[in-house]
Amino acid sequence: MEPIIRVDHISKTFITKERGKARKRKGKRTVHALKDVSVDVLAGENFGLLGPNGAGKTTLIKCLTTLLLPTAGTAWVNGYNVQQDEDRVRASLGCMLMGDRGLYWKLTGRENLDYFGALYHVPRDVRRKRVDELIELLKLGEFADRTVETYSSGQKMLLAFAKALVNDAPILFFDEPTVTMDVPTARELRRIVRSLNKDQGKTIVYTTHLMHEAEELCDRVAIIDRGEIIALGSPNDLKASLVREDVVHLEGILPGPTVDRLRAIPGVRNVVAQAESGGRTTLAVLCDNSRLQLPRIIEAATGNGASLEYIKPQEVTLEDVFIARTGRSLAIDTREVVAAEGKGGGGG
Amino acid sequence: MAAARGGFGLGRPGWRAKADVVRTVFVARLKIIARYKGAIFMESLIPIVFAAMPVLLGTTVAAQAGRDPGTVFCETLLRASPTCTTNYKLYMLIGAATFSVVSLMLWLIGYWVRREQETGTLESLYLAPARRFWVLAGVTAYAFVRAMVAFVLAILLGSLLFQVNPFERGIPLALLFLAIGFLPLWGLSFLFGAFILKIKEADSVIQVLQWVLAFLMGVFYPITLLPPILRATAGLFPPTVVTDGVRASLLDIGFFYGSAYGSLAVLFAMAIVMPLLGYEVFELTERRLKRREGVGQY
Repeated sequence: MEPIIRVDHISKTFITKERGKARKRKGKRTVHALKDVSVDVLAGENFGLLGPNGAGKTTLIKCLTTLLLPTAGTAWVNGYNVQQDEDRVRASLGCMLMGDRGLYWKLTGRENLDYFGALYHVPRDVRRKRVDELIELLKLGEFADRTVETYSSGQKMLLAFAKALVNDAPILFFDEPTVTMDVPTARELRRIVRSLNKDQGKTIVYTTHLMHEAEELCDRVAIIDRGEIIALGSPNDLKASLVREDVVHLEGILPGPTVDRLRAIPGVRNVVAQAESGGRTTLAVLCDNSRLQLPRIIEAATGNGASLEYIKPQEVTLEDVFIARTGRSLAIDTREVVAAEGKGGGGG
Repeated sequence: MAAARGGFGLGRPGWRAKADVVRTVFVARLKIIARYKGAIFMESLIPIVFAAMPVLLGTTVAAQAGRDPGTVFCETLLRASPTCTTNYKLYMLIGAATFSVVSLMLWLIGYWVRREQETGTLESLYLAPARRFWVLAGVTAYAFVRAMVAFVLAILLGSLLFQVNPFERGIPLALLFLAIGFLPLWGLSFLFGAFILKIKEADSVIQVLQWVLAFLMGVFYPITLLPPILRATAGLFPPTVVTDGVRASLLDIGFFYGSAYGSLAVLFAMAIVMPLLGYEVFELTERRLKRREGVGQY
């Protein structure tokens, strides 16, 4: 499949002013927000950018959406160069980058959508229909004709999301879109994102620091830290790449030979009986990679007099992948780490 | 190698789309100001209050000397003008009303940049394919209408209050000066907008420049009273030519550049040079910011 976004050795450096209390601490600091990043996003792909705050996700998105010019390297979006063909790049995109900012509070939701539709050159008659469709899709009807200043945070986020869809662009950028939403609204929004990708074939670049969102939505994920892509692949591949001892808990009627069969599976390091009651056994199967070995574990734990009633794998998560590569949790802001180390790195 | 080229969704660029951008921005801005109740009316009162200060001062001083204030005004402030008027109230009112038009227009882009930066809408605008020029054309059209409404209201209300008649002569010529003068003001506004985009602060700069502007454009006096260097500087400043032109048209007191044609020719030249220069500097600043921290940072 053809890449619809091509990032070619992009670097971005910021010069920031240090404003310490002590005179000697004042000065300029070079921050390498992106370091020689190259990546392709395929047409129709839901591509996740995962990383802690300050890792460089937003800087990369800003370079791809023409808000920032890269210091070195370049990128193509929808076949257009981000430095030479800015208007066409922007016309190819729908973006939700600043959360609920970026809306006119003295205009109603409907007026905001109409306004931004015009800025995306959507003809008036088409725009009117599109705005109605979006109001229905995102269930904005109750408040669409009130000024935005009266909205709750979640309502503003929904409107900002609708704004990104107003021109029905082939490529959508969402930067942490669910960040201030309540759980049911966030779930509904993720459902819509999935539908935009699967049913309408939109290419989506989805930035998040919530690993479950990335796992749920994304076909491929780039884990970014200190301005570099440290891992790239499907969530399953990334997790499978992690050599770590997993635990799978099995419950059921699991006689002695079953334990032997389980131990014989390559990659299974040990099988430990944890409890027995009423003829039922609980086993803990310690293995290298539960995702890879689970089918064989299930096969071994069924048949030949064995009966499996409950299975609970303790899976590797993308957070584990991040920890394995960086030694840190996703919750830790990269800028704090960099500042503590006294080095440049991380953008936002 | 570039990625494969795809479509643009519902966007249909072209002249109709550009005109639609101007119209939509214009309507949206009008809706926003209309939702701040009484804003335009209050704005119209500013020049009246502003003009009332010198009018009351002049009336009081002349009365204490036992003289007619109109004659004192003519003999002192307008002594260098080829013709004179004793209608000092209308003179001040026109100066103050023109000053408020100039203020609205001159700080327009700077205020726009700052306001949109603070609300986060500036990045949204930069994410859209509509060129800034057309967005700003919409913003400017709105500012022009707002400034003209405020000007007309101020002149009408002020004339009632000061009991003067502004309709005696030269209204079409005065409007022509305002209309042509609008373009160099727009250009200056871009220069100022570029400055605000760079320094990310508008209020203190405007507070200072507002008074420099009032001084240079001769709100309450003819610039012929200024020393030669300041007079020459003021004469090259578009707001001065606009104020002088509007006032000379309505009061028949002689133009700074000799005649209405002379002043209009100077203003016309400024109307060509200033927008080109201003927009170029604005775009350069934008480009420079994109290389650095981005336009949305504030």
